Amino acid sequence: MQFELNYRPSHSLATAHLEPGETLRAEASAMVSMTRNLEVHTSFRGRPGAGFIQSLKRGFLGGESFFTNTFTAVSGKGHVSLAPKLCGDMIVHELTSSHELFIQGSGYVAAPDSVELDTRWQGFKGFLSGESLFFLRALGHGPVLVNAFGALETIDLDGELILDTGHLVAFTTGLEYEITKASDGWIDSFLSGEGFVLRIWGRGRLYVQSRNPAEYGKVLGRNLPARQQ
Amino acid sequence: MHHTIEHGPAFAWLRIQLAQGDSIRAEAGAMVMRTPNVHMETHLNAGYRPGIFRVIWAFFVALLRKLLGGETMFLNDFSTTGASGEVVLAPSLAGSIVHKRLQPGQRLFVQAGGYLASTGSLDTKVRFGGLRTLLGGEGLVLLECSGEGDLFVNAYGGITPIEVRGSLTVDTGHIVAFDGTLDFKVGSVGGMKSLFLSGEGLVCRFFGQGTVYIQSRNVTSLASWISPMLPG
Amino acid sequence: MKYEIEGSPDYGLLRVTLEAPGEQVVAESGAMVAMDSQVEIQTSARGGFLSAAKRKILGGESIFQNTFIAKAAGQNVWLAPAPEGDLRAMALARGETFFLQSGAYVAHLGAELKLDTKWGGVKGFFSGVGLFLLKVEGPGTVFFGGYGALHPVVVGPEGYTADTGHIVAFSSGLDYSLRSFGGMKGLFLSGEGLIADFGGHGTIYLQTRDPRLLADFLHPFRPVSSSNNS
Repeated sequence: MQFELNYRPSHSLATAHLEPGETLRAEASAMVSMTRNLEVHTSFRGRPGAGFIQSLKRGFLGGESFFTNTFTAVSGKGHVSLAPKLCGDMIVHELTSSHELFIQGSGYVAAPDSVELDTRWQGFKGFLSGESLFFLRALGHGPVLVNAFGALETIDLDGELILDTGHLVAFTTGLEYEITKASDGWIDSFLSGEGFVLRIWGRGRLYVQSRNPAEYGKVLGRNLPARQQ
Repeated sequence: MHHTIEHGPAFAWLRIQLAQGDSIRAEAGAMVMRTPNVHMETHLNAGYRPGIFRVIWAFFVALLRKLLGGETMFLNDFSTTGASGEVVLAPSLAGSIVHKRLQPGQRLFVQAGGYLASTGSLDTKVRFGGLRTLLGGEGLVLLECSGEGDLFVNAYGGITPIEVRGSLTVDTGHIVAFDGTLDFKVGSVGGMKSLFLSGEGLVCRFFGQGTVYIQSRNVTSLASWISPMLPG
Repeated sequence: MKYEIEGSPDYGLLRVTLEAPGEQVVAESGAMVAMDSQVEIQTSARGGFLSAAKRKILGGESIFQNTFIAKAAGQNVWLAPAPEGDLRAMALARGETFFLQSGAYVAHLGAELKLDTKWGGVKGFFSGVGLFLLKVEGPGTVFFGGYGALHPVVVGPEGYTADTGHIVAFSSGLDYSLRSFGGMKGLFLSGEGLIADFGGHGTIYLQTRDPRLLADFLHPFRPVSSSNNS
């Protein structure tokens, strides 16, 4: 399976080239276009046995799709082009069995069958900050297609960093974290507009996005017509 | 202090390397990340070294700005205690960032949501682009920037500088910033008919010599484009 | 007359330079970013008031278009589409046709260029908005925009399948049929997920982002109406 990335970083489009018989699983909303020799199956996302309620819960909490589409090339080679919901970059993370990847809810796009997605991992309790920090745990081996809102920066951390919660895309094992106030005091943390931040330390890889979707939503949202309660 | 604008033009962010004693002031909420030795201090957006009356006045202005332009009322100052620290800043909207170095006596007008960060003795005061802009609902609220220092301005979309040759007409929703040497007047493109029918809303006419920085996208247009697709 | 597109593909911005007095460019209402001072704007209903009003109601298009006419030599007009995305020019020879999703039109050059609305199918070709396709016939140049990059796909004998939320434009010579995708493509708040199977020979232009997904993302951020009944 080969991934081709075009129009990076703003409007990235990922095209997965499938050999005969190869299978790719992708978020239901991600399909842009495909060759006509692909067979498509729709299912609730996650591991076999992941129920409807679990899918629903994750959809609401993590901003993810409820469904997964499975694309299989049935006669000859084929391709499927994929895009995330919002503008921004995508990257192919090569997963190895020694390092798991924790992906923020809306950051996952697609992966082959050799990658298992753990939907039960609860991640951070980020509800206090109003920003959902729901994570998927990817394990196994193979390429994982990850998307960012805005540009994507890869940081190989060996030390410590303080990061706004809305800018984290994914990180590997080897890193530890805690949610903390942005400033020393509670009032300053609130007024600063930063709310809660993540303190991350250790040794591992970190993917950071150059925009915060919730901030973007707030600026555009207040210019839109009102909705019914 | 050393700065780099990275990941531009569409999703630019600003990376600042701080030496001991350096500090940068930024719009509240703009921080993406920082090294642990960088400290953040929050204060009311009252301008450079305000007196007590300026602080009280600033509170009301900040409140008004928040209501009109949706801006934040607070600013964060970042400085380092170590030998060198780093902070990365980004605006809320998608778009470019430009850097302008202001010299004493120089003025730059910046559209209210366009302020990202500044250094030195740079001061910002609120100016309204005339009563009609408020009535038009497109609130051309401007920040008058003066003093000495580095100014970082963000836009929605790309930023294009246009040299004014005598006069130039710009949709108010596409103005990012302009030189203080220019005169300007807010109005409609034609008569009242064009104000309602042309869909161009209010425009700003610039006269004289100087540069106008325009942004290639406009929040109002985006809103009317996406509105028919919104669920009830 | 000449034109230049800058900022492509992130945020396409069109600059048209009207080199002699009397030269003109026609644009979708609201597309003007900036212009030199010796330019006159004339506002008119595209294709007559009644047909324009019909399109407004059915297709979500704006009724009015603006004609920018130079009163002096060397006048610039800057134009931009609304979404965050690219802008492309399509030059059409006499009699050559091209189909646009109705909201994708930005501007055109050429007094003889014809813009015609065409029924796009009962199910609604572009879910959410635009039951209409805009049929553009040369001679002239039409400028169109999209959400994301504009990705051309050449359709050959084996055909091609695209999500309707991503289709912006296609050349003549293609035929298509619509179907729902894999049972459920996703739970759109704002519309149904349909895909189009293309046959024939030609080029499709896909926008790399789907506006309906942006609409779904932005929905929770809207102000809440204070009215409590209905």
